[in-house]
Amino acid sequence: MKQRPFYVFETSHPVVPACYVIVTLCLTMAAMQPVLIAISLIGAFAANCCVRGPRSTLAGLRWQLPIIAIIALFNPLFSASGSTVLFYLGARAVYLESLMYGLAMGGLFVASALWFMAGSRMLTFDKVMALFGNVAPVVALMISSTMRMIPRFVRRGHQILAVQGAQGVPTAGAVDAVKSRLRLSSVLMGWGMEDSLEMADAMRARGWGSAPRRTTYTRYRFRARDVYALTVLLLAAVLCCALAMVACSQFLFYPVLSRLVVWWGYVPYAAWMLFPAAMHAVRSRRFA
Amino acid sequence: MSETFDWNETPAPAAAIAVEGLTFSYPQAKAPVLRDLNWKVPRGAFAILVGGTGSGKSTLLSLLKPQIAPAGTREGSLVVGGVDVDRLDDAQSARNIGHVFQNPDNQIVCESVWHEMAFCLENLGTPQDEMRRLIAETSYFFGIDDWFRQSTDSLSGGRKQLLALASTLVAQPSLLLLDEPTSQLDPVAERNFLHALFRINRELGCTVVVATHAPRAMVDYATCAFELVDGQVREISDMEAMCMREPLVDADKTVSPRVRGEDVPCAFTFEDAWFRYDRESPWVLRNLDLRVAKAHIHALVGGNGCGKSTLLALAAGSSRLQRGKLRAEGERRVLLPQDPRALFAAETAFDELMEWSGQLGYGEEETHRLLEKLGLTAQGSVHPYDLSGGQQQLLAIGKLLLAKPDVLLLDEPTKGLDAQARSKVAHVLLNLRAQGKTVLMASHDLDFVQQVADTVSMMFDGEIASTEPVTTFFANNVYYRP
Repeated sequence: MKQRPFYVFETSHPVVPACYVIVTLCLTMAAMQPVLIAISLIGAFAANCCVRGPRSTLAGLRWQLPIIAIIALFNPLFSASGSTVLFYLGARAVYLESLMYGLAMGGLFVASALWFMAGSRMLTFDKVMALFGNVAPVVALMISSTMRMIPRFVRRGHQILAVQGAQGVPTAGAVDAVKSRLRLSSVLMGWGMEDSLEMADAMRARGWGSAPRRTTYTRYRFRARDVYALTVLLLAAVLCCALAMVACSQFLFYPVLSRLVVWWGYVPYAAWMLFPAAMHAVRSRRFA
Repeated sequence: MSETFDWNETPAPAAAIAVEGLTFSYPQAKAPVLRDLNWKVPRGAFAILVGGTGSGKSTLLSLLKPQIAPAGTREGSLVVGGVDVDRLDDAQSARNIGHVFQNPDNQIVCESVWHEMAFCLENLGTPQDEMRRLIAETSYFFGIDDWFRQSTDSLSGGRKQLLALASTLVAQPSLLLLDEPTSQLDPVAERNFLHALFRINRELGCTVVVATHAPRAMVDYATCAFELVDGQVREISDMEAMCMREPLVDADKTVSPRVRGEDVPCAFTFEDAWFRYDRESPWVLRNLDLRVAKAHIHALVGGNGCGKSTLLALAAGSSRLQRGKLRAEGERRVLLPQDPRALFAAETAFDELMEWSGQLGYGEEETHRLLEKLGLTAQGSVHPYDLSGGQQQLLAIGKLLLAKPDVLLLDEPTKGLDAQARSKVAHVLLNLRAQGKTVLMASHDLDFVQQVADTVSMMFDGEIASTEPVTTFFANNVYYRP
């Protein structure tokens, strides 16, 4: 897949995007209030449109909408609370409140997933490594190594299946399908183990574990610009958290849905959530 | 051109490697691999170490670095740069002795090129400023600066191996040991790699020792050569002789059909074939036409990533073409993957061959006969992974033969094989042709292609650039010849 550039926090110290991504994820996952969820969902969607392009973001709806629907429909089956009966399913009443709660949950789930995707582009792998690298170099290396192993493992799995499929040897029925998967996993394990022995040698040959403390290559300098950005970001984060707490405390799903009103507090919250998309739009125009 | 070092004239401490009375045996092995071995490599030499698979080349090299030495009993002294290797601690060993392995994929540890370059120095606890300087210098030397930020998985095999070399060299070792470093590379990538090695040797004065069973490409760079036979090292004085190409098969066997023209029946044909892996990615095959004649050995040559493997997989029917047609009769086609391990699933070589016995209706007797024919009878109860590279290749081919295929599609059948194993593969293929079977193989081994194939197609840029009988093909080629 082709990577589009994402012009947000590109030149900042990794602490800055880390702060934004963590606060955004916490807000999204903690604020169980329909309007806040909707705002976060819109923000996440917009950010993803910038990162992955509108087409593949919309394509993501193919799994996201069913998930929202499933959670919305399943919640009433498990929690029979509320006051407005919609209909009866056998002896069980299905309440409007319960359905709405499920819908909100589904939205929250999808919004979090979308933020994770967008966040991984703001806080690129290199930046995570830089954050970790100075504190825990071994953890950083393990992550780096794992990041290499997983796609390799998957690719090799496809390769083995393709080789299996390419042999003009007749196979028979469903038992064989199960057998071929089992076979695949055993081949993958054996092969992977064999490779890891070789890799362990290659690591030892280059002095793995020879010094009491590893040093790191990455160098990010924490500059005045970053102090400024971080301060503004933290202040905004405090404001958004306070607003989210107020909004959540004033809204109840059960027993009756509270009425939603127009409120100024949604504006700063929306500004926070739409920040990456807006920033990206402004910066992209600069290059246009 | 090469010159032979006379190491009797150089004083003893100047030797980069001095091995005396080395005997080594693996646990539970009946006989030692290395017996009373004496070996001296002068400082600043470019030494080739040849010997067949299983002769103990890898063992000898890894013994010079106790961190990666295999388990077993060892006697004798190993001195590198005047210091006994047992007295070097992990950090000193990493700084002084670099080791590059055969498989570029398995020796890369990190996800990105920059991190891989930093790996060794990070391990050694090098201060950041010094580390950055060393990495910058080394990257410029190898021209890595252009792809410094890429992920290691996106690199071609040749670049991966170059990265493995560079990431070893950042620690500035005085001795570099390489174990079959180019056996996985295509001819062009091999040249590039050897050129880099040559520069390291001549410009940086680093002693280079390359273990290989295909020394032909390296002879021009080498200053001395050694052979490991029966557990002992002896110097090869006549290095020119290593440039000779040995015939793989007896001359009378190579008489081939070599018929041309439209009237030859086709085993299968590609017509206007277009293929790509998904909509986002570029075409791998474009507008490709190929006729593979029945009872012929047809070779596909071309650089890495030109689409050879994809074409073979398509011919085997593992995916469908997006456009165009593959016309093939209802024959049984089998595919030998580039890495034979993709084909192995059983615990022993014998069980491996028996895997399809249920579906295809062959028995144990037939399997035993095949093992004998391949010369693997002694290895019947060995785990396929414990076989040498050549034996693995033969076992994989054997497994495919049991399927009684009409068409064999082989991806790099001689990759990493020594002369003996190559000759065995050549015999198998010629036998198949004699039985009227068709073989389509992709290969970088131009020497093998010239001696075995009937027809050669050069692939370039997802198309067939030309298809010619093998003699015409090699007669007309300027760069692409064995």
